[in-house]
Amino acid sequence: MLKSTSLIWLVLLSLFLAGCAGTQNRQTDPQNDPWEGFNRKVYAFNDGLDKVVRPVAVGYDKIMPDPFQRGVGNFFRNLDTPVTFVNQVLQGKLRQSGSSIGRFLLNSTVGLLGFFDVATKVGMPYYNEDLGQTLAKWGYEDSRYLMLPFFGPSTFRDGTGRLADSYIHPVGRAIHGNNEWGLWIFRGIDQRARFLDQDAELEQAYDPYVLMRDVWLQNRQYQIYDGDPPMADYDLYLEDYPEDDGATPDG
Amino acid sequence: MRRLIHISMLAIACFHGSLFADHIGGDDPVSLVEDVTVHIFEDVANNLEHYSENQEALQELVRRDLIPLLDVNYAARLILGRAGRGLAKEKIDEFAESMSNLLVSRYSQGLLHFSSEVKLQVLPQRGDLNEKMTRVRTRVTLPTGGEAPVDYAFHKTSHGWKAFDVIVEGISYVTTYRNQIMPDVQANGIDNVIARLNSGQLELAE
Repeated sequence: MLKSTSLIWLVLLSLFLAGCAGTQNRQTDPQNDPWEGFNRKVYAFNDGLDKVVRPVAVGYDKIMPDPFQRGVGNFFRNLDTPVTFVNQVLQGKLRQSGSSIGRFLLNSTVGLLGFFDVATKVGMPYYNEDLGQTLAKWGYEDSRYLMLPFFGPSTFRDGTGRLADSYIHPVGRAIHGNNEWGLWIFRGIDQRARFLDQDAELEQAYDPYVLMRDVWLQNRQYQIYDGDPPMADYDLYLEDYPEDDGATPDG
Repeated sequence: MRRLIHISMLAIACFHGSLFADHIGGDDPVSLVEDVTVHIFEDVANNLEHYSENQEALQELVRRDLIPLLDVNYAARLILGRAGRGLAKEKIDEFAESMSNLLVSRYSQGLLHFSSEVKLQVLPQRGDLNEKMTRVRTRVTLPTGGEAPVDYAFHKTSHGWKAFDVIVEGISYVTTYRNQIMPDVQANGIDNVIARLNSGQLELAE
């Protein structure tokens, strides 16, 4: 099975392959995606994997009643709280981190292992933080897009953050051989099921790879800015881009 | 992308639900969103049966009340970007027209489908109001109890404030579709893209 060493290996491999992948699509807006050639290969791999995962997710979605699915979503969200807490502290959001402890205790007990999101009902807001967001807050703002096998869209910064976070994540620890594979797979199916509605749109897109990338990167900005990212520079959209903008920021 | 929901559905959702309509009648962007949503919502809620049987009338309502709020032509130019360079003005208008037709038909379908299930709240203006551009923030409460933020980007034209972009959970409709439309137009030509938009094969907003 995939151990942490394998994950590191994959990241290193992606670094290596990046050297031979200079095929950035020049007909779209310049994105920080110098590894597009490699990323597209991983995208194709994940797409192949989806031939197996999707039918399972569809079955899960059909069989399980909505309230149950919502409960499962709450359960996994609750398990993210330790990672959120640590990163709130790292970002200096101490008041919010206190609230996360309260959330975690309340939902894990009264909320029956997190299955019920009691905390939200009593007015304790949900926060989501991870090391990738922390690194961005610390100044590592622009990182190149990186498509991870199994895990999907990410950036170099966020993939690294994810690996580090996994040491304290109850489910993420599965990749370190702690035998939580059952939960890990269950979470994967649950998460896949949440995106079934978007399948048609992705399929019909002119370039599904670009659609997924653009949507993911924009939503990531939204998370990093805690729901309040700056607006796009629309004026720029009416201008021409230089043809040779292969240069991208560091990272 | 925790809960990315169809842009169309959320855009539709903005025509529903109770609002904090405490300054109706203004021509600032917040009032514009509130006025239009209140009006369309009430109309559809009161005549749900009529509109379910008569979708033409519903599309007419949406076209009459919604389209004047939008700067579809500006959105079209933003989406076409470089691919629109060198195109005749009529072509760009034609593309904008196809886009707005598609929006009207999607909105109308959604109005019937989601009416009374979704609640919308228009948040008060804060921060980035400048003379040329601003955004109106709304929160859509979904039937599942989840909340989704839907923002509208407005810019000032000679005819007042007009909306030209919808941003759902940070994902901009214009930014996202630019990268789909630009290479498509460059590879297949604007006529081909317009034809597919008109035939419903190219689902801009679904």
